[in-house]
Amino acid sequence: MKSKIDLKQIVSKIQLMKSTAEELSRLGQNFPALARNNVRILVSLKMMEINICDLMDLYQEK
Amino acid sequence: MNTDPPFWNPILESLPIEKVRQLQLKKFKSIFRWAYEHSKFHRKIYDDAGINPGDIHAFDDIRRVPTLEKSMMRDIQRKAPFPYGHALCVPLEDVAIFRQTSGTTGQPVYQPDTWQDWEWWMECWSYILWAQGYRPRDRVFIPFGYNIFVAFWAGHYAAEKIGCEVIPGGALDTKARILKIEELQATAMMGTPTYILGMAETARNKMGIDPSELTINKITCAGECGASIPSTKKRLEDAWKAKVFDHAGATEIGAWSFECQEQPGGMHVNEAFFLVEIADVETGQIITEPGRRGKMIITALDRQAQPCVRFDSKDVIEWADESCPCGRTSRLIKGGVIGRADDITKVKGVLLAPSAIEEVVRGIDGLGDEYEVIVDKVGDTDRIKLKVEVLPEAQDQCRLVEDELADQLRLKTNLRYDIEICGCETLPRYEAKAKRFKDLRKKD
Repeated sequence: MKSKIDLKQIVSKIQLMKSTAEELSRLGQNFPALARNNVRILVSLKMMEINICDLMDLYQEK
Repeated sequence: MNTDPPFWNPILESLPIEKVRQLQLKKFKSIFRWAYEHSKFHRKIYDDAGINPGDIHAFDDIRRVPTLEKSMMRDIQRKAPFPYGHALCVPLEDVAIFRQTSGTTGQPVYQPDTWQDWEWWMECWSYILWAQGYRPRDRVFIPFGYNIFVAFWAGHYAAEKIGCEVIPGGALDTKARILKIEELQATAMMGTPTYILGMAETARNKMGIDPSELTINKITCAGECGASIPSTKKRLEDAWKAKVFDHAGATEIGAWSFECQEQPGGMHVNEAFFLVEIADVETGQIITEPGRRGKMIITALDRQAQPCVRFDSKDVIEWADESCPCGRTSRLIKGGVIGRADDITKVKGVLLAPSAIEEVVRGIDGLGDEYEVIVDKVGDTDRIKLKVEVLPEAQDQCRLVEDELADQLRLKTNLRYDIEICGCETLPRYEAKAKRFKDLRKKD
């Protein structure tokens, strides 16, 4: 099962989503419906970072 | 064939332990720096101790960081930034949720969380529920009073997150909750061991419903040690014909440990999210080997609004010497949380853990689930009064039950008790954390 996990690609996609969400934060400064929903997206992305991106270095060394 | 992935996080939960240690060290440095740089409260403590984030290079350096206690939080709260005081590490407007501790050991401590912290709570619980076999097909009934205490709030949202259908059983009374479980054919629930046992009693004795014939197949317990005490776990499992799993967490810490489906006689520490150390109760020296009990010093490695850095939880635990057959690489604590350092006390010169009394009482067939322990003094001598209820079906064997209880207590705790047999359902019933152990000597 582990061999099926392409961690590098997953991390790359998460980083792409994060940069998109951060850009939306900048665009949504006067747009509460965008800004506040985007806070939730960023928080979910943070959980993906904790779960996945933070392990990138350790996983590669395995 | 069951094709569910066994782990919530297949990478992290199978990470070799030396890699977990690397991750913990990296994260500890980060949260320690965060607390130092964002909280006057933390900075002063660390400056006074002569340590700063640049001093943490290896695991041994972590042990130089002073521990924090709940009483220190009480001293700084109810002041600006109101009501959290200077332990708060984020702007007040970033605080999304207020909780407070139950106040069992004194004035409640307030706990602020940001949205990120709250999502992190849910994430911790997602690990727990997945490990205990919760899946999207489950219908989860949550019978607790949704309020200022964190209790099962995060369990609720984690169950939603992993895809379960959640039934919030908040403002219903016990009978209505049982009827709702029956009506909706709920498959899982969460509660304190005391309340889950009480629900079974209510179903049987007041509603004529056999809880083992309902559809609950798994129960997650928290708030008390009960689900890790073998005789209490057996009573719970027999009553509901369900697997019962323990979990430990705390408002100011997070959801840090859980029993998995293997029920290995202990709980996994979620070591990627928490750094757990065990300190000798007398000397404070860190215990690394299995089999020696001490109090838990814990760091929540990702919690930001009010960080939990080397918090002296006073929970008494010990490392297990075996790994778990489930394949998770995180360490187990043997027998779950054994008790609180505050409650484990010397009586007649013998160290007594209230959980040992519970194990005996609930291991005797003729006794009810409830009991009460009162320790006081007669002259200069300690006395332990134990109140128990004999079940109606065992009333004609009252003497035999009492003798067996006295024998087992002497065998398991090396102490003699003044046993009082009470009428059925006369001892207090509890909906949340039970207070069955009273040490009146502490008032002296």
